[in-house]
Amino acid sequence: MTDLLSATDVHRSFGGVAAVDGVSLAVEQGSLTGLIGPNGAGKTTMLGLIAGALKPSAGSVVFDGHDVTGAGPTRIARRGLIRTFQLSGEFARLTVLENLIVAAPSQNGESIFKALALGGHSWRTQERELVRSARELLDRFEMRPKEDEYAGNLSGGQKRLIEIMRALMAKPRMLLLDEPMAGVNPTLTRKIETHLTQLRDDGLTMLMIEHELGVVERLCDRVIVMALGKVISEGTMAELRGDREVIDAYLVG
Amino acid sequence: MSAAWQFYFATLIVYLGVDILAVWGLNVQFGIAGIGNFAFIVFQATGAYTMAVLTLGPPPVGSFQQYIGGASLPFPLALLAAGLVAGLLSVVIGLIGLRRVRADYQAMVFLVVSLIATSVVNNLTGLVNGPAGLSLIPKPFAGLGFGLVSYDWFYAGMTMGVCAIAYLFVRRLTRSPLGRAMRAARDNEHAAAAVGKNILGLRMTAFVFGGVLAGISGALLVAFIGAWAPGSWLYPETFVFFTAIVVGGAGNDLGVATGALLVPIVFLETTRYLPNFAAPGVVDALQWVMVGLLSLAFLWFRPRGLIPERRQRFKPDPATQRRPAPVLASGPAAGEKVGLDD
Repeated sequence: MTDLLSATDVHRSFGGVAAVDGVSLAVEQGSLTGLIGPNGAGKTTMLGLIAGALKPSAGSVVFDGHDVTGAGPTRIARRGLIRTFQLSGEFARLTVLENLIVAAPSQNGESIFKALALGGHSWRTQERELVRSARELLDRFEMRPKEDEYAGNLSGGQKRLIEIMRALMAKPRMLLLDEPMAGVNPTLTRKIETHLTQLRDDGLTMLMIEHELGVVERLCDRVIVMALGKVISEGTMAELRGDREVIDAYLVG
Repeated sequence: MSAAWQFYFATLIVYLGVDILAVWGLNVQFGIAGIGNFAFIVFQATGAYTMAVLTLGPPPVGSFQQYIGGASLPFPLALLAAGLVAGLLSVVIGLIGLRRVRADYQAMVFLVVSLIATSVVNNLTGLVNGPAGLSLIPKPFAGLGFGLVSYDWFYAGMTMGVCAIAYLFVRRLTRSPLGRAMRAARDNEHAAAAVGKNILGLRMTAFVFGGVLAGISGALLVAFIGAWAPGSWLYPETFVFFTAIVVGGAGNDLGVATGALLVPIVFLETTRYLPNFAAPGVVDALQWVMVGLLSLAFLWFRPRGLIPERRQRFKPDPATQRRPAPVLASGPAAGEKVGLDD
């Protein structure tokens, strides 16, 4: 198997704090890789560096054979590397259905000329397709009854689902998930787990930050452990359980 | 109705049309794309000056007013040029204000742009005649033989006609996938970028579109009133438009048009006739205070305005449509709604 994503010796500091201090990691095509570590380990920063929200001060990020180091979030997303947010990143004053549709790539109607052209709307056919595929997703995640609700009015758990569905609408080649189950009740957590497993079985590559080790053990093929801005270990969850350094990082860090 | 009343109402309709065009422009920038353009009045002023300079003809030697350029273009051309010049200025100001700056700081940048613009025009007297401003701007179509009052009614009708044409475009923009992407970037720019939206591109598009409308509104106004000076476009004027949007309902085309009727026309006109008290000019000053309070009151008690942004609903299921989908070659029939539910 080849690596879809690889980061080499990535650095980023904020003031004097080296939040990410020489991290190298790779995610295999088709795998669901976990990224764990105590608070302040630099996991979210690393995700931001990969997704282009932050620029690394050194190191390189290669996605799908292209060097995307320092590219902006828009360009990286258009390559098919889509991230979700730790804190809800929903479009609050758009409806649930709109939140999904807006994420679809290359929409005709987003060109000013097609949007303003007099006469028939040339984007209507594509729009109908998007509505259909968005509704399929809503059905799959059992959110169809909420399609006309403003996303800002949803519960925390439902917002997590929006986040995942919206990322899927963007036609991802790989997902970067930042704690997709944070603040979600146990029932919904199980559901999200099932969805993620399904997506992995469909062949979607994912890198997931998660604190709940049970979830990580059930879902992830490989797990990368970070602490204090560095990768301290990696392997399967079973291997990591015996790793002294990992246990120390979680207990002490 | 006496001639004086007719003159008054026709004038109010012209002002209403100008204000509606302006709030549509600002609504695309602020209501849809979330840009706090506190320099909005500068773009209206740009359109006004462009119209003035392009219809006044070359400045005569030794004339009381000096300005650059000077041409005698026909009115429709000058109107388009006013939109174009305001649009070009929007490109420049937008690239300065919309890049690398967070939304709250953007508002400050634009407010400062408004102050700078006033200062530049006041002091660079050769540009558009400094603080004295331009006057004797010719009335368009004056040669058609209208009477004094009927000309004003004609101009009022023409202004409303321009509004109707503008509405076609405004409505298309706000309801298109482009408008939706702008609203997404407004609600959460990081999330929008993370699904591949070009945030700067979306904001620039909204900014320039709004700037063009502002320019056209200013051009219509100045060709009607015949004079334009820095005192006509001081920065507080922008707040009147913001208040109109907040009162009417940000993000709703008809809502903000209602706001344009209620705030700059009904509210400011009725309070004009209050008897003065205390010191001279107290009522005038209080008008500004009241506009600010009106804005605050709505933000507290009815933040979405009188007619809130439309919730976009989609037809229950495209498969259950009564008619088969239209053949592409012929295009959807007039008035037919495909997919979107009004």
